[in-house]
Amino acid sequence: MRIGIVVLLGLAGAAHGAAHGADIGGQGEAFTWLKKMASASRQQNYSGTIVYQHGNHVETSRVVHFVNAAGGEFEKLEALDGPPREVIRSNDQVICYLPSVKTVLIEERARNIRNFPALVPESINGINESYQLRKEDVDRVAGYDCQWIALAPRDNLRYGRRFCAELASGLPLRAHTMNEKGEAVESFAFTQLALGGAFSRERVKSKYADKSRSQNWRIDRSGLNPAPSTPADTGWVLTSQLPGFKKLMEAKRSLGGRSGTISQIVLSDGLAAVSIFIEPMPRAHPAQLLSHQGAVNIYKRPYGNHIVTVLGEAPAATIMQIANSVELRPVTATLQ
Amino acid sequence: MDDISALMDGELDSHQAQRGMARLKDDSELRERWDLFHLIGDAMRHEQLLSRGFNDGLAKRLQEEPTVLAPRRSTTKARRVTTYALSAAASLSAAALVAWVAVTPNGPASLQAVAPASNAGPVQATAALASIPSDGRMNEYLLAHQGFSPSTALQGLAPYIRSVSATRPEGR
Repeated sequence: MRIGIVVLLGLAGAAHGAAHGADIGGQGEAFTWLKKMASASRQQNYSGTIVYQHGNHVETSRVVHFVNAAGGEFEKLEALDGPPREVIRSNDQVICYLPSVKTVLIEERARNIRNFPALVPESINGINESYQLRKEDVDRVAGYDCQWIALAPRDNLRYGRRFCAELASGLPLRAHTMNEKGEAVESFAFTQLALGGAFSRERVKSKYADKSRSQNWRIDRSGLNPAPSTPADTGWVLTSQLPGFKKLMEAKRSLGGRSGTISQIVLSDGLAAVSIFIEPMPRAHPAQLLSHQGAVNIYKRPYGNHIVTVLGEAPAATIMQIANSVELRPVTATLQ
Repeated sequence: MDDISALMDGELDSHQAQRGMARLKDDSELRERWDLFHLIGDAMRHEQLLSRGFNDGLAKRLQEEPTVLAPRRSTTKARRVTTYALSAAASLSAAALVAWVAVTPNGPASLQAVAPASNAGPVQATAALASIPSDGRMNEYLLAHQGFSPSTALQGLAPYIRSVSATRPEGR
């Protein structure tokens, strides 16, 4: 009954928005939905089964997300197909348990990054520069009514996106990433979902947490180096800037399984992000390599005594173009 | 020999695979063969882990081992075998995947990479830059990237499945 009322309110809200009329193509409304999706993903309690598809590959996971009374976020993803794997997020820490190789990957995030303004769509202008937003039909996914929102790229530097957001909460129930031919390169979809529910520490705990400690699994820690008061200058620059992509973050960091300091620069067009990693050339001296994982393309190329690795949810050509524009700033050059 | 290539092609069920792994552990000659296959895999993917004389050595050994570069197409069932790899983990499962991606012709891209090597030309120069499915060695980078992507802000933890994704051959 409560859900029914919320859905009605949601519909009323949608009707109200449409009545304004001045919102050409529903752009403003679509953007409001985008913001609603971001806050639902952060604040909504839910548990469900989600299917991840890319190419001919389908993988099912269980996802649980809870917010405790203090506003702390706890999330668990458990792979149901293939080798068992679990990902646990508690606030600023992400832990991956990989029992098949008895390894734990830990990614620590700097506290101030969590609510990094640019991570959540803040201004319509930023996104509007790169994508045309559109509000589409109402659909039904996993038993819930949802609103399709489409983001069509304005050039071929980025992928298109479509989300179906649950009408009342805004939680995205389906997400597709499309290439220039309109084919899905990656999809996420809930097949079963329970919205709401009370916070329970047990439900967001890994079943491998104790085992990994008692059996001394290998631990690979990664994270940003303690942040200085000003953004780190890694000494690396991009000789050309792709339209729409702005620098989100630049820092020195550690990366699990690799020794020494690595530079990371993150670019984003407000929706997709591209990370640039620069590290000293390893002894193995790898040559260039292009690979992909779902919508994420990955390009590695040697650059002098360094290896540049660029990856992100963007077409391979974009990733390679960014990688090829990475240069060590000459000492004489002035700051940008 | 056949068992080893079947193991690499993922044609064995888990029981047989376990037996194969056990044999590998006990038989040094088999292990050597297994290692050779991996070196070939690395060479296909342009990893310069190899000694200077490796290409010559490889050409010679390839003539003795033609089946390595022309593995028979696996059956549909065999392609269901899942391998998982992690960059720094020098486990057998990691190694198996390396070999799988490089040696099994599961698509035009890998065929392309395999074919020229059989001419014993410089392996280094052969590959067009075709995109290969990530074999798990990029997982740490994916994990380090994920937290900064607005997609994560929109979709929660779901995209993290990429960072721990099991790699399965496409088109199985």
